[in-house]
Amino acid sequence: MLTALIVLPIIGSIAVMLVPARRRELHLPLGIALSMLPLAMAGYLFWIFEPAAGQQLVTLVPWYEPWGINWYLGVDGISLPMVMLTTFLVPIALGASTSITTRTKEFVVYTLFLEAGMIGVFLSLDLFLFFVFFEAILVPMYFIIGIWGGERRIYAAMKFFIYTAVGSALMLAGIIALAVSHNQQFGFPSFALGDLAQVALSPGAERWLFAAFALAFAIKVPLFPLHTWLPDAHVEAPTAGSILLAGVLLKLGTYGLLRFNLTLFPNASVDAVPIMATLAVIGILYGAAVAVVQPDLKKLVAYSSVSHLGFIVLGTFALTSGSLQGAVIQNLNHGLTTGALFLLVGMIYERRHTKKIEDFGGLQKVMPIYAGFFLFMTFASIGLPGLNGFVGEFLVLVGSYATLPVFTILAAGGVILAAVYLLWAYERVFTGVPDRSENKILSDLSGREIALLAPIAAAVLVIGLFPGLLLDKIAPSTELVLDNIESVTAYRVPDPGRLIDVFVAGEIGR
Amino acid sequence: MIATPEISWIAIAPDLILALGAAFVLLIDVQWKPSRRVLGIVVAVALVLAGGATLVQKLIAEDALLARDPFRLISFSGMVIVDGFAVFARFALLVVTALGVLAGWRFIEDLGRRGAEALALILLATTGFSLMVGSNNLVLVFLGLEVGSIALYVLAGMARERPESDEAAVKYFLLGSFASAFFIYGVALTYAGTGFLTILDIRAFFNRFIVTDPIVIYIGVGLMIAGLAFKVSAAPFHSWAPDVYQGAPAGLVGYMAAVAKIAGFVTITRILLTAFGGFDVAWVQAVAGIAALSMLLGATLALVQGDVRRMLAYSGVAHAGFIMTGLVAGTTRGVLFYLAAYAVQLVGAFAVVAAVGGSDAARSSIDDYRGLARTSPGLAGSFAVLLLGMAGLPLTSGFIAKFGVFSQAWSAGFEWLVVVAVLASVIAFAFYLRIIVVMYMDEAQDRRLAVGSAIRWVIGVAVVATIVWGVLPGSLLDLASNALAL
Repeated sequence: MLTALIVLPIIGSIAVMLVPARRRELHLPLGIALSMLPLAMAGYLFWIFEPAAGQQLVTLVPWYEPWGINWYLGVDGISLPMVMLTTFLVPIALGASTSITTRTKEFVVYTLFLEAGMIGVFLSLDLFLFFVFFEAILVPMYFIIGIWGGERRIYAAMKFFIYTAVGSALMLAGIIALAVSHNQQFGFPSFALGDLAQVALSPGAERWLFAAFALAFAIKVPLFPLHTWLPDAHVEAPTAGSILLAGVLLKLGTYGLLRFNLTLFPNASVDAVPIMATLAVIGILYGAAVAVVQPDLKKLVAYSSVSHLGFIVLGTFALTSGSLQGAVIQNLNHGLTTGALFLLVGMIYERRHTKKIEDFGGLQKVMPIYAGFFLFMTFASIGLPGLNGFVGEFLVLVGSYATLPVFTILAAGGVILAAVYLLWAYERVFTGVPDRSENKILSDLSGREIALLAPIAAAVLVIGLFPGLLLDKIAPSTELVLDNIESVTAYRVPDPGRLIDVFVAGEIGR
Repeated sequence: MIATPEISWIAIAPDLILALGAAFVLLIDVQWKPSRRVLGIVVAVALVLAGGATLVQKLIAEDALLARDPFRLISFSGMVIVDGFAVFARFALLVVTALGVLAGWRFIEDLGRRGAEALALILLATTGFSLMVGSNNLVLVFLGLEVGSIALYVLAGMARERPESDEAAVKYFLLGSFASAFFIYGVALTYAGTGFLTILDIRAFFNRFIVTDPIVIYIGVGLMIAGLAFKVSAAPFHSWAPDVYQGAPAGLVGYMAAVAKIAGFVTITRILLTAFGGFDVAWVQAVAGIAALSMLLGATLALVQGDVRRMLAYSGVAHAGFIMTGLVAGTTRGVLFYLAAYAVQLVGAFAVVAAVGGSDAARSSIDDYRGLARTSPGLAGSFAVLLLGMAGLPLTSGFIAKFGVFSQAWSAGFEWLVVVAVLASVIAFAFYLRIIVVMYMDEAQDRRLAVGSAIRWVIGVAVVATIVWGVLPGSLLDLASNALAL
């Protein structure tokens, strides 16, 4: 089942490869149709997923036994939302790519490969396998940015690749170190997450390893001050690239911190809380402040990502039930809303070939449907109650307050700044009278574009109104992470930290 | 040591077949002036027969190990050894030779009447290196080294109409002879220090005695390492490599580099691990230093090259460093896997260079690869796979190779070396990607490339091997793990 989820996109990309290059009108529709299969499968996965702790639907096939590497997959409450997000965004990203007219076939092939890699990262329970997927997704993304990107695409693609490669290289050393220690202590080689978590490490070694993993993930997130590749990559990437980059690839970082750092290095994680929280809060405020002054819409959304992901990291390291659940669900939310915002920016760029805020004005009158969607996504991103952003940010903030009150108060400032930059941008682009002649003749959204946005809007609304649907499935897994930390370290989740879980699920969630 | 007076033909059968093949090629060329195709068939027959003989050797070696009778592996009064290690290396040499001949076939045909010389030289070079990997005696190692190297010097100058080719040959010859002198002096000093030339006897010597004043042996080992480090183009003995890789005929460079690396590393491994394994660990530090320097220098200098062949030369320096990283761990498995994986990639990559640049590859500037993905998508795709394989991306053999040597070095306590190595591989990413950028992201030129079917085969084999060994590492790792040195 899980294997099929990874293999399906690969089969799809091979199928697209087999279509001759002259039938270029076929490639994109075929790709979209094929990417519906993993989506349907992820829906089924959600249906059969039991709201219980631990990995489900585990697949374990030996890959190379002398090294102890396995094709070891499983899904739990932390990876389930990510898999759904990935399969959900890929068809949308492909559907948003009608403006890609050159080398369409290659584009679809790379996107489907990317999908397989991303799903693989989230499902891997073997660190070797995880690393394989983690690195393998660099290549298709690199090509997507580098071939179909904007002016400075090669620079951006290179920067993206090298930044990520530096982080993952050190993580590779960390994985090797862990596996070698495991082999020395237990006498058999293994890369399984559960096995490596048993390895006894000296405090110094644990900190070094924590740092190696955290660096790789912090670059992916990206956490301040490692974020400088992000605006370049986003601005230069084609719309589909931006959607997948913001929607899924950045989540590899936050997911990795939650899944690997907290599980493998609980002591070091507890010790690192102040550092990670500081970086997260700086990221929240810095990203938001820079976003306020951006003249370019796409850059604005990119910096807002830096800010929003800061919340997720803060929630992860606040180590309470509410904050962890908030982090997981915010992973999903950010993918939806930011993906939608990039999609919207892409749509206006296709019409006007500019992303400068000052080039627009009064679009509300010309493109009412577009403006409506933009406002809706803006509200979702700000965290208006009833929409998904509220659930995530509220949980993160309330959950974090129990353990990190000062950081939480500072982070709340980021919420206000988010309202400032997004609404101000909205005001400048959409309100007023359309004064430029180019802007007066813009056409509103086509049926295809509405069809792309409507599912995201529906998802935003459903999560906002019925978060319990997801939280029920997430909570057991995040509780397990906390139980694990409590069993190994002296850290104890403060009482309100655990109570919030009950409070939220009981009162607000329903 | 048991002296075996009778000649053990099977122990030298592959070398003998190759040498006879070389002679045969020259003789029938003079006598009948046959077409190139006939000569090619002769070479192919020689390689197949040598492969068959190696297979027999492999069976005998396994049999002897099962019977716990290691002395059956040694013949010619302890000069020649046929263990799994030698057999694995010999197979690798033969495969690389076959691929190399195919990759250079256009060039050999263009040579006209001199084509037979090139073919004979290739067979002679392989003979020398094949002798070298199976020798248990330092003097025999030197003989094999010289037979192989001198053939390579001449091959480097095969395209003698081009001044670069002459330059490559002269440079390679002068520096190479210097390195050989280093090596033989090291052998002499080792003999002075221990009284033995046979590798297994040296090991026995160290097991029996503790050397109180080992300075002579230190210098001897150091000189031998330096001489062989030259052959595998490890820093700081690498300065010949870029010029030779650039000047020598492109179709043959991949072969030349790959066989020299295989033979050089196998011999370094045998000498250091078998002969001096029980002596002193001081050499390990020296090798670790060479490894770190090679990786960093190779990767950094490759960044600034504007010529694909020079870039591959510097990347070869970095790869020498990676292989040495596996050597410090004191096990052979990682080294053998890395050698085999890299040698195939190298031949494949130079086959692409030959396809793009013409038979003697006058055009190998990075500009000549501009937009290759549009004009020849298959070629560009294959080159991309090979480059990513060399860079060590997962799902290629390069990743498994790197992972193997890194984890061995880490277990052996060389954590710092592993950290240097992973950082060097990141630097290396940058220049491999540069070629891919040029191929995929730049505008195409109006140039149609006619790629011969022989080269297509070489590239295809290299790409398939890179991916298969990357996805199913067991297919080669099991063989490498079983290829133990005596």
